[in-house]
Amino acid sequence: MTRFAVPCGTIVFCLVAYWLSTQFDRVPPILLRGMQPEDFPQMVLLLIMALSVLVMIFDKPIEHDPMAFNVWTSLGLFGVFVLLSQVDLFLGLGVFAGALAYTWGERRLWGIGLVSVLSPALIFLLFDQVFRIRFPRGLLTNLWYG
Amino acid sequence: MDPQLLVLLFAATLGGVIIGALPGLNATTGAALLLPFTITMEPIPAIAILTTIYCSATFAGAITAILINTPGTSASATTCLDGYPLAMRGEAGRALGMATVSSTIGGIISVVCLMLAAPLLARMAYNFAPPEYFALTVFGISMLATIGDGTPLKNIIAGALGVLLATVGKDLLTTVERFTFRFNELSEGIGFVPVMIGIFGISELLVQAERVQGERKLIEMKAIKLPSREDYRRVWKTILRSSGIGTFIGILPAEGATVASMIGYNEARRWSKTPEEFGKGAIEGIAGSEAANNSATGGAMVPTLALGIPGSPTAAVILAGLMIHGLQPGPTMFTDQAEFAYAIFWAMLLVNITFIFVGLFGAKIFARVTFVPVQILWPIVFTFSIVGAYALDQSMLDVYIALASGVIGYFMRRFGYSVVPLAIGLILGGMLEKRLGQSLIMLDDQWWLMFARPLSLLFFVLTFLALFGPFFWRLFTQRDPMKSTGE
Repeated sequence: MTRFAVPCGTIVFCLVAYWLSTQFDRVPPILLRGMQPEDFPQMVLLLIMALSVLVMIFDKPIEHDPMAFNVWTSLGLFGVFVLLSQVDLFLGLGVFAGALAYTWGERRLWGIGLVSVLSPALIFLLFDQVFRIRFPRGLLTNLWYG
Repeated sequence: MDPQLLVLLFAATLGGVIIGALPGLNATTGAALLLPFTITMEPIPAIAILTTIYCSATFAGAITAILINTPGTSASATTCLDGYPLAMRGEAGRALGMATVSSTIGGIISVVCLMLAAPLLARMAYNFAPPEYFALTVFGISMLATIGDGTPLKNIIAGALGVLLATVGKDLLTTVERFTFRFNELSEGIGFVPVMIGIFGISELLVQAERVQGERKLIEMKAIKLPSREDYRRVWKTILRSSGIGTFIGILPAEGATVASMIGYNEARRWSKTPEEFGKGAIEGIAGSEAANNSATGGAMVPTLALGIPGSPTAAVILAGLMIHGLQPGPTMFTDQAEFAYAIFWAMLLVNITFIFVGLFGAKIFARVTFVPVQILWPIVFTFSIVGAYALDQSMLDVYIALASGVIGYFMRRFGYSVVPLAIGLILGGMLEKRLGQSLIMLDDQWWLMFARPLSLLFFVLTFLALFGPFFWRLFTQRDPMKSTGE
């Protein structure tokens, strides 16, 4: 199944990207030196499509095990992180890290506390104080930035 | 050398050893995760730290390979074959000692080769015109076919996807915006750092999610015991041979320590007087594998510094680090920015000498690092990854790019597409397009004239051989009746 599904998906992606590339601004021929902006991406896209067809023909079919439950939950937690990071980046990180540790089997309170509270706090302080990185304002970071 | 820098390099060596010993982390992931930390530093310590991590993490893979039969990095997979059986026989100290000494000698030989070969290669490349550079970059990309876990076709597709990603942003020659979707942050292109963090760090988190339940058993290491004089007498030729093989394989664009260790191990067995001992605890097996994989690190830096073509996946991350710091690897590096090249040489030499102490006296402690539970380690790695992705441009878009790259990287790996070509394609993509454009301007749009220039023709022929050579070789060997019947 994936023998055809992955190359077909790649080809569809390339077709969409090819169509997008036709929308780029063009340089008037009188000013043009070398290639038009769309020429190079289109060459690469055509190459990917041609190779994907070859993969469909020559690739040996491989049976894949179903994706593990932990992978699904981790992917779901990525979604939770994206949503929570709109409120506060470090809130998202803390909740993600704690939930990931829990779903991967961590049951000790200190373990969950370490990954969800202590490590994001230390990493925040390291980047804020040592590397002088300013993080986006949010529910928790406002407590620090005032 | 600045004493502060020495302390920093020693700390980076210890950090690299821990990274190499931790489950799922390797030199490439470690360098990608540490890249954001080096951004605020001066260029010399930043690049020295990245190269130190490269060498020390490659070496550290041997510690876990010998003590718990789990290679810390893929380059140490062949070390398991003889290292673990030796450890099971109560000779873990001897195995670790041999791995340390072989790594040190291999590493030092390769750094000496780097010091001699890189400036020479750079001098040769100094007169390259855009068509030669374009042909050379095409050759570098064609070498992606044989690396990573995927098939050649899939590797080239992954590399081409990387080149496609490099086209996002303003076109260098016409300044027309491409694939930016009106995001201002994308007009300068997709950053190397978030993509590298995503495909190496976050995708590995998803791979580790499948292996959460694994158990590891530490072998008892009774005493630190150096290999005997008899051991050295048996392996000195193997170490020298593997160091040569590793350095040569490392110099080939995109080929890295993993391929070097496999060839080094096979050659050690082929030349051995007792090949039947291999796989059961042959000391030559450890020497062959470890000398080769560590010497590949120095070799890989030759094309990286002299031509700007990464010699291995980790060298690609180091190349990205050089570019972020405004340095331009290539022939001019040894004339205009020589101090950076020499900082890299000395850092690599120093780290290879430091291995002796770390390997012989700290191996037992570092092996314990592997027992950090994955459910504690990986959430912390994720936090580092996300904050690191944000830190470079202080943009949330980079965080989402890292996350998306991680998910795409996981599915690529699941379906047999290696992520290494994607990273190298992303780095070389901009260079490839720029040099093609310059070549067309120079040759007045007559692209076929590139084949009339001897050096560019040579690189195109090498590209053809790299892509189709294995296919023709198979055809040729199948016609040999002795080989086809297996005799």
